[in-house]
Amino acid sequence: MEFWSWVSRILEQYGSLILEGTGITVLLAIVGTAIGFAIGLLIGIYKTIPIKSSTPMPLKILYKIFNFLLSAYIELFRSTPMMVQAMVIFYGVAYAFGITLNRLIAGLFIISINTGAYMAEIVRGGIISVDKGQAEATHSIGMTHLQSMSYIILPQAIRNIMPAVGNQFIINIKDSCVLSVIGVSELFFVSKSAAGATFQFFPAFFIPCVIYFVLCFSITQILRYLERRMDGADTYTIYGTEPVINGADTLKRGDVK
Amino acid sequence: MDQKPVIQIQNLKKSFGQREVLKDINFDVHKGEVVCIIGSSGSGKSTLLRCINLLETPTAGAILYNGSNILSSGNTHKYCAKVGMVFQQFNLFNNLNVLENCVVGQVKVLKQNRKEAEERAKRYLEQVGMLQFINARPRQLSGGQKQRVAIARALAMEPDALLFDEPTSALDPEMVGEVLKVMKSLAESGLTMLVVTHEMGFARDISDRIVFMDGGIILEDGTPDEIFNHPKHERTKAFLTRAMDK
Ligand SMILES: Nc1ncnc2c1ncn2[C@@H]1O[C@H](COP(=O)(O)OP(=O)(O)O)[C@@H](O)[C@H]1O
Ligand SMILES: [Mg+2]
Repeated sequence: MEFWSWVSRILEQYGSLILEGTGITVLLAIVGTAIGFAIGLLIGIYKTIPIKSSTPMPLKILYKIFNFLLSAYIELFRSTPMMVQAMVIFYGVAYAFGITLNRLIAGLFIISINTGAYMAEIVRGGIISVDKGQAEATHSIGMTHLQSMSYIILPQAIRNIMPAVGNQFIINIKDSCVLSVIGVSELFFVSKSAAGATFQFFPAFFIPCVIYFVLCFSITQILRYLERRMDGADTYTIYGTEPVINGADTLKRGDVK
Repeated sequence: MDQKPVIQIQNLKKSFGQREVLKDINFDVHKGEVVCIIGSSGSGKSTLLRCINLLETPTAGAILYNGSNILSSGNTHKYCAKVGMVFQQFNLFNNLNVLENCVVGQVKVLKQNRKEAEERAKRYLEQVGMLQFINARPRQLSGGQKQRVAIARALAMEPDALLFDEPTSALDPEMVGEVLKVMKSLAESGLTMLVVTHEMGFARDISDRIVFMDGGIILEDGTPDEIFNHPKHERTKAFLTRAMDK
């Protein structure tokens, strides 16, 4: 009884703060996943540029150098905890340039580049998973690497990596809590404040626990739904004549004039 | 065949590491000519086609397209758009439906407007007997249907020449006929074709010339009558005997 009454008191007193914290957490996860995904796509496209023996030497060297830098970035961020990255970047900038970054912006930056390092590998895997023959076919009709990627390869790669990207999104909802170490007022941070003020640790952390669960669980369901939608219909309409299909019981009307 | 050559292969070589797969290949393909390349597995037929289509970079030699060497030119995309390829494994774009497979190259590479591109795509799909499937996805088609769409996709680029790498080898036997029929009508329509095939009857019927490859070289190059009825080399005879037995 004691427990529930503390829960409701904390909600009364800190409800709006907790709501704001939840908002920040969701913001961190969405921005981090979106920017991280964009970083991953760019790196994925770059890393799969075909380098032929006919490519001019200076270009090859330039390509290699930049490729090395990208690999260094990926390895560095995958091999250190985000909590430590946050500290090093936030206090490093303060130390080197004498500026204190806006904590939220620093948090968004860190979660984005951290996610980018993971996404780069996920995207690369997705590109490799699309059979090489299709890339050859794009080449054989004269497409550039960028056209081939944009219209043929990436749409399929992205479909294939949707589960992994969704997973990264879920991870970001939860792991954004480590950004509390640099004072980003996300859900964990505000809960800690509530706990510190009331000395009721269990109720104070029970609330974010439920919120995290509801967020992650519902996002998982939404992503599943989106994946199913991306696959499209199993049927198609015969052009010009009567409608037909794959399964006899799934007839559809012709829609083409 | 007193036309100008569309493609000229000169002293073409290709090595993979230490292994020389093509050793000094020379031949011309003239406008409107149908040339079949035959030879046993591993003799370098696919590698030759892939070099001509720049899917592989030749180690040495020249490939002239309408007289100019494309290996020393910077922009090869235009050339690739005009020399099409039909693959053994079809390689349709799985994220696009049949119509879009035949439209995307026209719109993105040739900068054709969409309406004209669709008209043209439908014209070629009709020619290969796939017009009624324009809304289908590649995964909903049989092998023979996929290959016919792949041919239409290549034709929609209105190429100067089409390369075929064993277009019927991945097909169930009952589907081979429908693809060969389409190819035969293309040959008769005057399309310039370079075809790697194991279908000897087909090669004999539609070719203007047959090229026999063996161990990375062209051992014999002649009319179907010369190659099939009067082969000069023992290895050509041996190959034909084996191929005809099948
Ligand atoms: N990418 C490659 N790397 C190494 N060797 C290859 C490669 N592609 C083909 N080869 C080799 O080149 C030879 C010729 O292959 P290919 O052109 O496919 O012959 P064909 O089409 O006549 O059967 C084969 O011995 C094959 O193993
Ligand atoms: Mg082959």
